[in-house]
Amino acid sequence: MAEPAYTVASDSETTGEEKSLPLPEIAIGIDIGTSQCSVAVWNGSQVELLKNKRNQKLMRSYVTFKDESPSGGVSSQLSHDIDMLFGDTIFNMKRLIGRVDTDPVVHASKNLPFLVQTLDIGVRPFIAALVNNVWRFTSPEEVLAMFLVELRLMTETHLKRPIRNVVLTVPVSFSRFQLTRVERACAMAGLHILRLMPEPTAVALLYGHQQQKVSHETMGSGSEKIALIFNMGAGYCDVAVTATAGGVSQIKALAGSTIGGEDLLQNMMRHLLPDSENIFKSHGVKEIKSMGLLRVATQDAIHQLSSQTSVQVDVDLGDGLKICKVVDRAEFEEVNREVFEKCERLIIQCLHDAKVEVEEINDVIIVGGCSYIPRVKNLVSNICKVTEFYKGINPLEAVVCGAAMEGAVASGIIDPFGNLDLLTIQATPLAIGIRADGNKFVPVIPKNTTMPARKDILFTTIHDNQTEALILVYEGEENNAEQNALLGYFKIMGIPLAPKGVPEINICMDIDAANVLRVLAGVVMPGSREPVVPVMEVRMPMVDDGHGWCAESLNRTYGATMDLVTLKKA
Amino acid sequence: MSKKLLFTPLSTFFNRTLTSIPQRFSHHLKQSLHSSAPIIPSPPFTPCDNLCYSSPFGFLRFCRKISCSKSEENFQTTCWNCHAVPQSTPFLFCQSCCSIQPVDHSIDYFQIFGSERKYDVEGIDLEGKYKEWQKKLHPDLVHSKSQKEREFAAEQSARVIDAYRTLSNPLSRAIYMLKINGVEIDEEQTISDPELLAEIMEIREEVEEATNSEALNDIRSQMQEKLQNWSNSFAHAFQRRNFEEAKKAIRRMTYYCRVIEEVVKKL
Repeated sequence: MAEPAYTVASDSETTGEEKSLPLPEIAIGIDIGTSQCSVAVWNGSQVELLKNKRNQKLMRSYVTFKDESPSGGVSSQLSHDIDMLFGDTIFNMKRLIGRVDTDPVVHASKNLPFLVQTLDIGVRPFIAALVNNVWRFTSPEEVLAMFLVELRLMTETHLKRPIRNVVLTVPVSFSRFQLTRVERACAMAGLHILRLMPEPTAVALLYGHQQQKVSHETMGSGSEKIALIFNMGAGYCDVAVTATAGGVSQIKALAGSTIGGEDLLQNMMRHLLPDSENIFKSHGVKEIKSMGLLRVATQDAIHQLSSQTSVQVDVDLGDGLKICKVVDRAEFEEVNREVFEKCERLIIQCLHDAKVEVEEINDVIIVGGCSYIPRVKNLVSNICKVTEFYKGINPLEAVVCGAAMEGAVASGIIDPFGNLDLLTIQATPLAIGIRADGNKFVPVIPKNTTMPARKDILFTTIHDNQTEALILVYEGEENNAEQNALLGYFKIMGIPLAPKGVPEINICMDIDAANVLRVLAGVVMPGSREPVVPVMEVRMPMVDDGHGWCAESLNRTYGATMDLVTLKKA
Repeated sequence: MSKKLLFTPLSTFFNRTLTSIPQRFSHHLKQSLHSSAPIIPSPPFTPCDNLCYSSPFGFLRFCRKISCSKSEENFQTTCWNCHAVPQSTPFLFCQSCCSIQPVDHSIDYFQIFGSERKYDVEGIDLEGKYKEWQKKLHPDLVHSKSQKEREFAAEQSARVIDAYRTLSNPLSRAIYMLKINGVEIDEEQTISDPELLAEIMEIREEVEEATNSEALNDIRSQMQEKLQNWSNSFAHAFQRRNFEEAKKAIRRMTYYCRVIEEVVKKL
């Protein structure tokens, strides 16, 4: 095909269009954790984790706004955890990114040392760091971008080449809207996302690679192996079921939720100091300090409870507030019962969605910071009926290693020993559909559909002579449309006058090989095969910040006047 | 005419697929049309993939007809890239130059898995073959190639996914087998068989009354057994080319599958 006479290639416009270079640049793998972060790269023969100047492979994910220029966890040197708890440091950005102020996860972040305020009207929350007694407004995207810049510089120094392409891992429960926020942060940091991978699928890739190696070495037939991957970090808990053979891993099902170490920590803090939320509400300097001290003490206690059955918590929070208490493991487990039950439900749901029986699982892989907690290990092994977990995968490095391998594969690197002879066939982590049948969420592409995918569903009007229909596209798992993430909306206009239930409105959704989602809408009248109005094709997500406003006001203005129902065939 | 006939799949208008409208019509397919001719004098449908839901190639229903009227001259048997003659069938991928070929809709799902058209797929390693194909065809692996070939990859890979999904499920496999024999099933057709109606009422009551997981699991295994039985009768009917019986079996299977889904939701 002839090239256009001119090409404007700005950073944002080259997305998804990888030009073939003579020497392909190897994309690096980045695992941005809620609490810790790591970078790895394929060095020509294997995956190598990069270290910062302090010789750390795992770097804390935070940015401090203390001085003139902010500094992040890659370069700065904290002498103690408490140093990031004075209100001038923003962390947990992965829990906050792409969420509006009606989101329960945002509400649960209000007793962090920095400021998180909400108006509960569906706009972005007010997030600020305390710098010289002044609140400096920021956003999770901005903080993440600052952090990524440091990460990029560190990697560039290490590899002695400019870095542009990255494979980034994300939680399973991230909506496509949240992914656009992550992409935005990357763009701000001068990075181009070659691929976004749900975290457990990066582990699946690594597992597929190891299995292929084993079958090569033993000259085995390389029969199919099914693994369950459980990944629980500070912010998120994800489960995946993968079936791998000959280096090809098919993701059979994914399940994820925003629960993690942060919830365990907050529940424990509440347990140790029941009124903590009220005490810390004001976010004064003194309160922030006490909150920080409590956080550190609780964190230490939880860590110790992984190896011992009870722990003495002894901390002076100032202002006469003292905590002196012995906490045992059973108490910790009881306080967090709901979190652990949720983990169990995720595993059961994932197995069910994958249509895999427990007996069919060959390996159970458990990764993430919370995988050291005895109760977590217990619940996974109980459900999967195993006595031991898969060995040969480092629980804290598995995700980033998988991402680095994907980076090499996606960059077109060929390994003479076949080490990169790998493929992960992804499935949709969440259902995508529209609002119809009242306030219901009607999935068009169900969850766990193999990608690329295209599906369509027929709808019809609910009013006589209804000439317009509002298509609200949501992504999620909830039956109630509004509890899912809004990806965008558009109107179909010019529906011919007809009694309700007659016009056929076809909503088609297409996820292509580059994971781009398009929504198509067409209207056909019975007796005709041609669409009566030109077919609308809209790329999603199209909403920007403050999208919660849109859904709210759309509802208030239009109500059900432009609604659709699924077309029931007689 | 049923509503389905009226309905134009939206993909018809989807520009990405327009580039790959097949210009050929295989001998194989024609044969199967002939063989079904005595039973159904004029098959209302041309055989077509994409039966249940996903319809990346739904537009075929039309262009087939167009291509039918055209000659079969431009039947392509060599690689579009290096013009090598295929070394093996089905020809989705050129072994000489490693290029992915455009989708050839005359290759049916069974051919993709190297099998004859038979209902019993016990002996076929569907999963293994599926992965083997994906390793050659998946769009993730060809991003350095031309735009044209990347499109072929997306379509071929999607078709192999469809083929795998269709053949690995007994119900969709049954529907597909009838379809490639020119027999269309309207899945949404109202049930008129009084025997089945009575049974449906009974099962529905049972499901409603089942409160614990034990009772639900019990219903589920009953349904699975029935599904298996009717799957067997489909196989027999199909073998005798008794398509009416086969359709009856499919209606039963469709219903039992739905009950299983409902039960699973309640579990």
